[in-house]
Amino acid sequence: MRSRFRALAGLATLAIVFSACGSSGATTNPTVGPTTGPTGAASGTAGTSPEPTAAPSYDTTPVTIKVWDYYGDTTPIKPTLDGFKKEFPWITIDYQALDWDSMNEKFKAGLGAGEVPDLATLDMTWIPTLAANGALEDLTPISGGRVNGKPITDQYTQGAIDAMTFGNQMVSMLYDFDTYSLYYRKDLFDQKGIAVPTNWDQFRAAAKALAESSKPGGKLDKYLTAIRPNSFHFAQYLYQDGGSLLNPDNTAAVFNSPAGVDAVNIQKALLDDGSGKYWSDADGDLTPAIKSGEVAMFQDGPYYMGLLKSGVPEQSGKWAVATAPYSKQPGSYLGGTGLGIPVQAMHKDAAWLLAQYLLRPEQQVGVFNYAGAAPATTAALQSADLTKPDPYFGGEQPFSVFLESMKTSRPFPYVGAWDDIDVAIADAMQKALLGKAPVQTALDDAVTETNALLKK
Amino acid sequence: MRSRPRNRIAKSGFLLAASLLMVVPFLWALSTSFKLPGDVFAYPPRFLPDPFTTGNYLNVTTLIPFPRYFINSTIVTGTIVILNVIFGTAAAYAFAKLRFPGRDAIFFLLLLTLMVPFQVNLIPLYKMMVELHKAIPPLGADTYFGLIAPSAVSVFGIFLMRGFLRSIPDEILESARIDGASELRVLRSIVFPLAVPGMATLAIFTFLGAWNDFLWPLVVTNSDTMRTLPLGLALLARRNTSDWGTTMAGTIVTAAPMIIVFLLMQRRFIEGLTAGAVKDGG
Amino acid sequence: MIASIARRFRGASAGYLLIAPVLVATVVFLVIPMVVSGYWSLTHYNGIKPPQFVGLQNYLDVLSNPRFQRAFQNTIFFVVMGMGIGPLLGLGSAILLNDNLRLRALFRTSFFLPTMTSLIVVATIWKLMYADNGIINAVAAFFSLPGHPWLTDPTTALPAVVVTAIWQGFGFETVVFLAALQAVPKEYYEAATMDGAGPWAKFRWVTLPGIRPTIVFVYVIGIIGSFQTFDQVFVMTNGGPIQATRTIVFDLVDRFNKLDIGGASAVAYILLVFLAVLSYVQLRLGESRD
Repeated sequence: MRSRFRALAGLATLAIVFSACGSSGATTNPTVGPTTGPTGAASGTAGTSPEPTAAPSYDTTPVTIKVWDYYGDTTPIKPTLDGFKKEFPWITIDYQALDWDSMNEKFKAGLGAGEVPDLATLDMTWIPTLAANGALEDLTPISGGRVNGKPITDQYTQGAIDAMTFGNQMVSMLYDFDTYSLYYRKDLFDQKGIAVPTNWDQFRAAAKALAESSKPGGKLDKYLTAIRPNSFHFAQYLYQDGGSLLNPDNTAAVFNSPAGVDAVNIQKALLDDGSGKYWSDADGDLTPAIKSGEVAMFQDGPYYMGLLKSGVPEQSGKWAVATAPYSKQPGSYLGGTGLGIPVQAMHKDAAWLLAQYLLRPEQQVGVFNYAGAAPATTAALQSADLTKPDPYFGGEQPFSVFLESMKTSRPFPYVGAWDDIDVAIADAMQKALLGKAPVQTALDDAVTETNALLKK
Repeated sequence: MRSRPRNRIAKSGFLLAASLLMVVPFLWALSTSFKLPGDVFAYPPRFLPDPFTTGNYLNVTTLIPFPRYFINSTIVTGTIVILNVIFGTAAAYAFAKLRFPGRDAIFFLLLLTLMVPFQVNLIPLYKMMVELHKAIPPLGADTYFGLIAPSAVSVFGIFLMRGFLRSIPDEILESARIDGASELRVLRSIVFPLAVPGMATLAIFTFLGAWNDFLWPLVVTNSDTMRTLPLGLALLARRNTSDWGTTMAGTIVTAAPMIIVFLLMQRRFIEGLTAGAVKDGG
Repeated sequence: MIASIARRFRGASAGYLLIAPVLVATVVFLVIPMVVSGYWSLTHYNGIKPPQFVGLQNYLDVLSNPRFQRAFQNTIFFVVMGMGIGPLLGLGSAILLNDNLRLRALFRTSFFLPTMTSLIVVATIWKLMYADNGIINAVAAFFSLPGHPWLTDPTTALPAVVVTAIWQGFGFETVVFLAALQAVPKEYYEAATMDGAGPWAKFRWVTLPGIRPTIVFVYVIGIIGSFQTFDQVFVMTNGGPIQATRTIVFDLVDRFNKLDIGGASAVAYILLVFLAVLSYVQLRLGESRD
């Protein structure tokens, strides 16, 4: 008995000693609770000057804010924190680095327990669920419609603003954006005399001309075009054919229209021709296939530039980016990363100050320089860093293409059931492209399922 | 059990082939961990890294606060193993050899807790830890206590040990009791020594679970200084891409202590068993 | 007489004392969260706004949801294949390894290596092996057999994931059976040999009965575990293609990600009831002849 108690006591003491050494100083500030209104915000005062100075109109009570960042070790956010501290010395940042998957798990678990950061990077595809459940703070009152002194509408494209809005609330600030353009092996195009496709017919022809077989007379297995059965790529082709996913008031699904069928059929055509390579999300990123030469053309977002540079350095100078070929009008899905402030956050005003800081052009440029991603504010996109010639892409400026694409891209409809609808669409795509069901049937089934989900 | 020499050679040959099958993926991970990022998916695929680089291991140890994560993992896992082996064996002995009202019902109720996936307990448990941390700062979320406590006892371990302990002959225990020993004395002097092989097995499995645990440490820690190794290594994966070489280096580094522990324990539990069970005629 | 009553009483109080720490920890860290989740399963709860009581609505929704039904089906396949093959491989390899071979430490470590490597890593490695230009198709090509998109084809995806799971999991059975085999007294085998029993008879009448409690343990634990498969599926196929590899716990986690905490808890409790009944039956069968 005695020995056991001694052992227990010993272990308990050890645990306490260790944990006392181990626990950090991250205490929550007992003062501020919900937002105290516009007094703390940066927006009200600075009308003309884009650089808010540390004016006495701020509430300068020392405060610690928790920031969660999913960019990993190439984060553009961490390098800005020292500068932020200099300008806002009363705000201490408790910074936590996570990765993309972990952020999703930890953030949502935190919601349930009431342990949330003050500012977090959130993937735009998570926002519908979060916003529909009232997890994110409406940034309209805190911001007063302005970021860094200028109206929000001046700093983003309309598509971006749509992406940040849920109902009549602004639930996040778009920080980096994702939209699709055409990546292609320019060297092969030049070699084979293929012109850059601008419409679907040319796209199909280009893919066919590009593809080769490694064994004479064998199946086409080289220089193929990636075909990806997910809702992002479906939306891409759908929008280009003038179609929509849901009707304007988000009460019914309309993607089984002729535009929807066309969108699937163009992809199926490439697969049937043998010039398309079926690449599901579970297969991971395209880098291995690009490296081996299996894939020579695909549509994806700006961050693929970074992937190519790090994973396939030997193909530098062989790639180029062009506007995606479209049948009726240019169009693409718009996604990316948003900065969000949870409703349960303790220090929203201070968090908003950081959010604005990160959206300044000087900091936004870091999104490209560190993370290889595309900053979302139009000012940053037009800056020198992003418009200089890129040797990997033959001295061209891919960003200008993506900026063009962003102007015609639209976010997914913001409905609470989006996660389930996404799965329904992806399933329909896979069924149709694998030949498990006729295209119209697969789309009709998905529409039926979506309508049921929208009714709930 | 010694078999005939001819059988043994055939057996060894077969086992060698089978072992190779078991080991190939691990060897691939090992090989990848020494490759440059551009070579991981080189086409055609090559098994041996060329050029050979230790850069990935350097990444693992320098891009993240590796020593701190390693120490955290060691402390947390070590404590969990010790707690489980001691208290789990004691409880298992009670379930295996002692009679008390409600014994089987309580055991079944404990078993029920295994049937619920951990994700379900995650939020209530986390909330508990958060409140505890606010009340008693050295305990609760973001502390060693928080990392250790939910795994301090494992019903799996009790179930395992109960099976092993059942095989201890009752006569030995009875004779000790008649000689006046208290149950605790019996436990300490007779049961624990005989149970060493089982405890070694339990130690291995508990170590395995605790060392590789990801979800709970992810949720319950908020400071970088409290993170465990699997969690720390996950951060080496960038968004939308993987530096396979470094990720594999991280994998090998995480698996290495496990392999060492296994090698140390396997002698003890496999070699040591025959001594204990046979002595008293079964 | 009094002495024996006293002894039995002491035995009982000793019993309670010995299980007390474990019981307390289990109640605090497992039972209480389970009860809270049980309550949540009867509510609509998204973690942010207070839970709203809805009775058995979640259970009805879950059971009538086609994705959940598919998940249940897939999980049964998983369990039947996994528990049909795994313990056999485990017992077989344990018997082979239960020998004074020269390289036994190496062999035992190799067999246990997959189990020692974290689930996520094993799944990642196998995913690469199953890729179109991965090792498996390369080997098939070497033998002039056609390659296959193992993880992309809905028909082969689930079996492919199951193969990975079995490959990784049976080391556990190997180790447990190895320990159990070594506990069977040598005298029994010697006596059987003297009675003229051949190897199969020895296996049937000495080995099997000798490791019976371990067999029960392996099946009970194994079935409980494989019904909760999640990590391999999450990493290898993310539930696809077309829900072909969706498992019960995958469905549960999906609901958590949609902030449907009530629904996720309902899934858990449906699983619990199912497993409780299954385990009870197994335990009774296993111990009926004790």
